[in-house]
Amino acid sequence: METKKQRFLAALVLLALGLGLAALTYFKTTGYKNPVAVITDTKIKDRLLKKETDIYGNKDEERRQYLHVQVLTGKYKGQTFETVNTYYPSQLVTQKYRAGERVFVTVTDGSLALVSPKRDWILVMTLAITLSLMVAVVGRRSWHLIVSMAISWILFYCLILWDVAVNGAGIIWMFSLADIVFSFFSLAIVQGVNKKMLVTWLATLLGVFVSFALCYAVIKLTGETYLNYEMGDYATQDTRGIFMAQALLGVLGAVMDEATDIVSSLYELIQHKPEITVKELLASGRTMGQEIMGPLINVLVLIFISEALPETILYFRDNNTIATTFNFTMSLGATQSAVSAIGIVLTIVFASLCSLLFLKKPQKGGKQE
Amino acid sequence: MSSLGALIIVLAILMTIIGGETGIRSFFSVLINSLLLVLVAMLISWGLSIPIITAIFVPLKLVTIIFLGTHDYTVAKNSFYASLIVLALVSVLILGIQYLAQAAGLGPEAGEILLGHSQMPGISYGQIAVTVAIFSALGAVAEAAVSMSSGILELKKAKPDITEEQLMKSGAAIGYDVLGTAMNTIIYGMFGSFLSLFLWYYRLHYSFSEVINDKLFVNEALIIMYSLLGVLLTVPLATFLLAKGMSRQSEAKNGNEKTRDQEL
Repeated sequence: METKKQRFLAALVLLALGLGLAALTYFKTTGYKNPVAVITDTKIKDRLLKKETDIYGNKDEERRQYLHVQVLTGKYKGQTFETVNTYYPSQLVTQKYRAGERVFVTVTDGSLALVSPKRDWILVMTLAITLSLMVAVVGRRSWHLIVSMAISWILFYCLILWDVAVNGAGIIWMFSLADIVFSFFSLAIVQGVNKKMLVTWLATLLGVFVSFALCYAVIKLTGETYLNYEMGDYATQDTRGIFMAQALLGVLGAVMDEATDIVSSLYELIQHKPEITVKELLASGRTMGQEIMGPLINVLVLIFISEALPETILYFRDNNTIATTFNFTMSLGATQSAVSAIGIVLTIVFASLCSLLFLKKPQKGGKQE
Repeated sequence: MSSLGALIIVLAILMTIIGGETGIRSFFSVLINSLLLVLVAMLISWGLSIPIITAIFVPLKLVTIIFLGTHDYTVAKNSFYASLIVLALVSVLILGIQYLAQAAGLGPEAGEILLGHSQMPGISYGQIAVTVAIFSALGAVAEAAVSMSSGILELKKAKPDITEEQLMKSGAAIGYDVLGTAMNTIIYGMFGSFLSLFLWYYRLHYSFSEVINDKLFVNEALIIMYSLLGVLLTVPLATFLLAKGMSRQSEAKNGNEKTRDQEL
């Protein structure tokens, strides 16, 4: 058995390694398309160009930074350029640079332009902190979680390759199939392939697909009123299909976890108390579901709607009404939340019923009520 | 009737049938929680201080999620304190990392959204990015706190004479399950939320190194990790608080009734 001390030691070692890797990433200059450069000023000269008030009455400033940038890679390696960067302090689309930081640049005809700050090392650093905390909290079994997470990302990547290859044709079927595969792998990694896992899998799929079909019918029956699919961001293909795909994918994790919780507990219950009645079992599943559903739905609501917050603020800032703003920014996220919520609620029913049908052994002696 | 309205009505009916009284309360907790987000957006757009609004709305949202969503008072109280402490810790982390990441605002990918909008809105998108990150993690933290607290309370009910030490140990086992649960919810939620962005990267032939330096991707990946960090911190803290609270309660029970009333 591992002791607490060992766990903390392992976590510390991991953290040190991770931070070392982050430092290496910070100083890494090869393998990028654009040359890497470093801002050599210790204090950047920053001048106010003008104060501006736009047609919506928003007051902002236009400022300019005067920078010295030394290129670290490529043809111009070692050369220092002077350049300027114009930015607005609100930094909605513009970027303010900091003294001494590493940046990506392009150099054409002897003049240098800034592309963006180098950010990859921050991901490595944060990942290191997260993983070492995980080891500190759950110990050796972190492996399961890390592998499961990695496989989810790999499958997700394959899914994107596939979608692009067929240009989004039959996207609903594609993502339905993806749900089936994703949930199988996720559940199999954590639980192993056994009867309990298969029951959980079935409950998950029923929860996702029945609720999706129900919501699809509701959306069709109401004529997709006020559903501005085209307001989905970064659209590169049929926006309606993308929305449906996002809905299918977004709810899967929550439903899978909820089904796992309910089926595992009912399984334990059946093991410890084989004489439990059908009514008791269903009541128990329902009580569990009631406890979980509220917080679980809120997790997804916060993920789907918070994401739209920066845009929403921009719309309000530009004097749009609540109705317009909501329709153009939050309504798709809200609809996705509603679809997911229905999935989460229905899963309680399927998880309880599947446990009852497949896990509970028929009673000997006919003691059923 | 709008499709969203119809879906919300279907949801309300289902939650009432399946959830009973708890279901109705959960429905309102979700509804209020969503409306609070709209309110936050409005208040920020009026130019009020973003850090102050965030500091006010975090506890407000936690109350909505935790006290309306669960029916056991001990679970709710414990979850609330645990989430609040965790979110304070995570906020500090978020502030530091967001400062380094410089990934606020909208990327060049968002060109279409910005069409016809002010590009100089005069409010700090750096601060807004921090608020968004805190709110995104909030749901996951609250959910984990509730699962942890109710799991441990069940254990305590089943074995009333369990020691604090044993409770902490079982807490780690429950924590593993809670963590697994939260992780899938967060990751798939994020996949579902940002599918179109990933398709965008692929279709526009972003290279791997470009993607991991891109503002929007970095922001997104960081939000996933903040949520995970929040959940990870919640596991030991919720266990600790509940174990402490319980031993205090049972001590008080052994003492006179008066102190016990004060404790409650």
